Amino acid sequence: MDHKMSRSPWVIHYDGSSCNGCDIEVLASLTPLFDAERFGVVNTGNPKHADIFLVTGSVNAQNLPVVRQIYNQMLELKCVVACGICACSGGVFRDAYNVIGGVDRAIPVDVYAPGCAVRPETVIDAIVEACGILDQKEAVMRAGGDPLTVGGAATWDGGVELGEGGFVAAGAGADDAPAGTSAAGDAPAAAKEGE
Amino acid sequence: MTLLYFLTLFPLVPALGMLLVRGDRARDAVGLIGSGIIMAVTVVVAVMFFGTGPQSFEVAPGTSHVLSIISSVIDVILCAVILYNAYKYRNALTTVLGIVQLVGSLAFAAMTLPAAEAVIATPLYLDYMSVIMVLAVGIVGSLICVYALGYMKDFQAHDEHEAALRGQTAPDRRPQFLALMFLFLSAMFVIVTSDNLEWLFCGWEITTVCSFLMIGYTRTPEAIKNAFTQIILNMLGGIAFLIGLMYLHVNGMPLTISGMIELSGAGTAQSALLVMPVILLSLAALTKAAQMPFHTWLLGAMVAPTPTSALLHSSTMVKAGVFLMVKLSPLYAIYPVTGFMVTSVGAITFLLAALMAISQSNAKRVLAYSTISNLGLISACLGVGAPEAVWAAIFLILFHTVAKSLLFLCVGTAEHHIGSRNIEDMDGMFSRMPHLTRLMMLGIMGMFVAPFGMLVSKWGALVAFAQTGNVLMIMVLAFGSAATFYFWGKWLAKLSGVDPTAQNVEVNVHKTEWMALNTIAALLILCCVAFPVISSGLVSPYLAMVFGRVPYVIGKDAMYLMVVIVAFIAVVLLTSFRVSNKPHVNVYLSGVGTDNYRHFRGSMGHEVKAEKRNWYSEDALGEKRIGPAGSVVCCSIILFALLCCAWIGPERLAMSAPSVLRGKYFEGSGVVGIFIGTVAFALLAPLVGGLIDGVDRKLSARMQGRVGPRLLQPFYDVAKLLRKAPASVNTMDDTYMACALIFTVVGGGIFVSGSNTLLCAFMVTLAAIFVVLASASTQSPFAQVGADRELLQVMSYEPAVLLMSVGLYLATDSFDSIAVTGQSAPIIAYSAPIFLALLAVLTIKLRKSPFDLSYSHHAHQEIVQGVATEMSGGTLAKMTLMHWCETVLFLMWVGMFFVWDNPVSWLVALVVMAATYFVEVLIDNTFARSTWRSCFKLGWGVALVFGLLNLMPILVDVFI
Repeated sequence: MDHKMSRSPWVIHYDGSSCNGCDIEVLASLTPLFDAERFGVVNTGNPKHADIFLVTGSVNAQNLPVVRQIYNQMLELKCVVACGICACSGGVFRDAYNVIGGVDRAIPVDVYAPGCAVRPETVIDAIVEACGILDQKEAVMRAGGDPLTVGGAATWDGGVELGEGGFVAAGAGADDAPAGTSAAGDAPAAAKEGE
Repeated sequence: MTLLYFLTLFPLVPALGMLLVRGDRARDAVGLIGSGIIMAVTVVVAVMFFGTGPQSFEVAPGTSHVLSIISSVIDVILCAVILYNAYKYRNALTTVLGIVQLVGSLAFAAMTLPAAEAVIATPLYLDYMSVIMVLAVGIVGSLICVYALGYMKDFQAHDEHEAALRGQTAPDRRPQFLALMFLFLSAMFVIVTSDNLEWLFCGWEITTVCSFLMIGYTRTPEAIKNAFTQIILNMLGGIAFLIGLMYLHVNGMPLTISGMIELSGAGTAQSALLVMPVILLSLAALTKAAQMPFHTWLLGAMVAPTPTSALLHSSTMVKAGVFLMVKLSPLYAIYPVTGFMVTSVGAITFLLAALMAISQSNAKRVLAYSTISNLGLISACLGVGAPEAVWAAIFLILFHTVAKSLLFLCVGTAEHHIGSRNIEDMDGMFSRMPHLTRLMMLGIMGMFVAPFGMLVSKWGALVAFAQTGNVLMIMVLAFGSAATFYFWGKWLAKLSGVDPTAQNVEVNVHKTEWMALNTIAALLILCCVAFPVISSGLVSPYLAMVFGRVPYVIGKDAMYLMVVIVAFIAVVLLTSFRVSNKPHVNVYLSGVGTDNYRHFRGSMGHEVKAEKRNWYSEDALGEKRIGPAGSVVCCSIILFALLCCAWIGPERLAMSAPSVLRGKYFEGSGVVGIFIGTVAFALLAPLVGGLIDGVDRKLSARMQGRVGPRLLQPFYDVAKLLRKAPASVNTMDDTYMACALIFTVVGGGIFVSGSNTLLCAFMVTLAAIFVVLASASTQSPFAQVGADRELLQVMSYEPAVLLMSVGLYLATDSFDSIAVTGQSAPIIAYSAPIFLALLAVLTIKLRKSPFDLSYSHHAHQEIVQGVATEMSGGTLAKMTLMHWCETVLFLMWVGMFFVWDNPVSWLVALVVMAATYFVEVLIDNTFARSTWRSCFKLGWGVALVFGLLNLMPILVDVFI
């Protein structure tokens, strides 16, 4: 398998609504002690450059469109890592009135990295895991397939969208198919209002 | 001969026509036909000139006498016009000066007219310089008249609208205005073809009074005030001119330019007396050319309708001043005090006006300061009086004429359609007025970007100053050019912004305006492309005629290369050429953007627009601060020169200027060599650069106690970027980035093939401009802040880079990098301070620095990456490749200082390059970051101190 993608995982880090514990650990994974740059990891801070989207914290009404917009501005091939239990499922806040749930309520997630807070080793492990998915996606794409059939996007239920009376589960209609076809973030209909 | 009369007198016909006919259509017809005939006659004159060569025309004594009487009468009439206006508006100073001039004119007429021997046998002439000026005035001037036809309709409509709001009516003064414009052309033809100084003076005064009337066109208090500023300053010059003429006549010297030059060669007691008239005529020329302290009139002239500004700035008025100095330039070498005055005033004006231009946001004012600054450079060159410098000056005049007229006309049209002449309001102009903006960008590039003519001329000036050992001028040029780069660059960046939401507002621009704009733009490209021909066909023969030798400033191959590049840029800019058909994405606005034009959802839930303004540094570079200081210094220089003439005996002033003419070798390796070099560089530099980058990241990691990435990580990164899905925020940025990469590689090719380092440095600057365009064309505030930082960064390191070339030249008498291999010692032995300066700016250029929002890939992580914000995939890969190439090129510049004719030296150079890079990494990782302002001060500070230190010996050399 071709490893061109996985050798240069550039990340972008976004804090949904976390307690900042996971954010500190994500950044810690880049420090001399854990040195994620051994694997070529660069924190770009820019969706146009990044391949892997590290999201910490749960999704709520305020950040739902933001997460979607950043995700849509990332170019294929791309992966999403939910860092920490809040990002995975909403964690202890999942029943809070304003919390919608984990990151997969907004965008398809490829790798879930649990923990409260997530450990730097777990973050690096998750990035390496995401690298594998990037390579798989590339292989599929080079064979003429759709990269969205690989990873979290393949089984994603479409998440939720902001309706008139609150949040509603996105139906399985064609409009709600995740993240467009091949390129350049054709926004899913659910994310349109964020653009 | 007849043709010359016709050329001079014909513009009076449309002038008269304008006064007589009524109605827009009739005026258009008169204007178009008149301008057409003037242009045709100009071309015929030029063509016939190439048949006959330079010649003087005899005029029968009787006719000549009559013409002299007529010119005296005109002088008196002009004084009467001035006095009438002075009385009408109760301006005391103007009245006094008017009376002085009237008395002077009458006295002079009384002196010369009765004397039969004063009749000059050949009062008219046509030489190469005259033909250049006739073409410039005839073609560009007429086109401005054509433009005025359409422009003045809008202007009048606007005036009437305003007046109607106040319940008044606006008087229609357009006939007089257009008539004055044609009269202006006629006067200019008199100036550039009269050897008889008395006639020349008559034309001189006509232009003064015409511009007085045109500036006052709107009759607003401000216009009247500025018109009087203009007339007062120019009358001072006029009176100096008149005194000079009287001095000539009283001392029995000829009243012709050719006579003065002939006399100066005689070396007699009488020829020594010439110093006084030369200095007075130069003073008149400096006032006309709006040099400090007289520059205020040109700024004031901005209140007039735009065609006036275009006419005054480009082909006429100010060019009359520099034309006279071109004619006098052989004398400046013979009478050093006059050359000193002209060069110093010019140099100071060049530098200070360029700095003041940075602080301006009004487009017309920026143009005005840039005119003043350019005229300063022209004067500085002319004052040197060496053919190399005059070569540069003539090209500066030519390119300035064409590029500046294009810019003024563009700004005028833009003002009528976007309702503002403020550069800040030109956001998104690229989409609002697509064609006009491209012409404007072309004009701006013509003013300062390599290798358009303007920059070639600056290069010529640099060579001339280096050859004549004029150290202070080299420094002024290095810093003035950097300032010029900045103020043009930020305007260019502003224009390039693509705004997808914009309405196209240029649909109702008048046809006559388009006609003029397109023709002048075509002329600009033609001048750049035909520049080698103009040099060998017109300018060199002129210099051979006047100075007896042909200057050799630029190698032929370098010239051809430049022509190709200009053509390339013109194609990229003006055609709808696109390499990008990528899917569109919106700009990044931290995930809360709502469209592709800077709108985002604010924290309070409503939509907010992000604005990005330019950097002006009004506190440091404001005109209130710099203007007076410059005026005081220039005044003192002029007074000093005048006092020298008065106190020191003229015979002691007539000695040749102390200057050492250095050898000159500009052979390079030819076009074929450069091509091979470019291919080699294109293949090797990315490999080496990528490796250096890998080592760099590894080293940095070690210094921070980390393991760091794999050695080949940079290559993996680029390979990855090339595999990403393509996307683009607009259709231009990838094209611009491709151009930047190409120019960097060509620059590297020029260097490795052993050719001209100046050309190499200019290519790097050109690449930087295109990086700026690529990021400024997006509507991302992050990218545009990055573009600003990039411009500031270039301004900081540019002087030191230019000085590097000068250091090479001083050590080897050549700008070619290959020359070092012929030396018996490495050039570090001569140029150690300059080398240190280069090292200092290398840190700014290659490493993390406060400019790090510019495109260094060492940019701070986690911060959005400035210039590169909107670049993705292939575009970002191109930028990375470009950065590698630049790293290699800059390190080679460092290595160059350590190579001599010993093969071992190559090893030494390699070691030094490695050591330098290690030190840069070390500095980067151990020193705290400073602010960009302090970095900027550092960049200019070291260049100034070390540059001067290094160049001082030459200054002393002259006197030893």
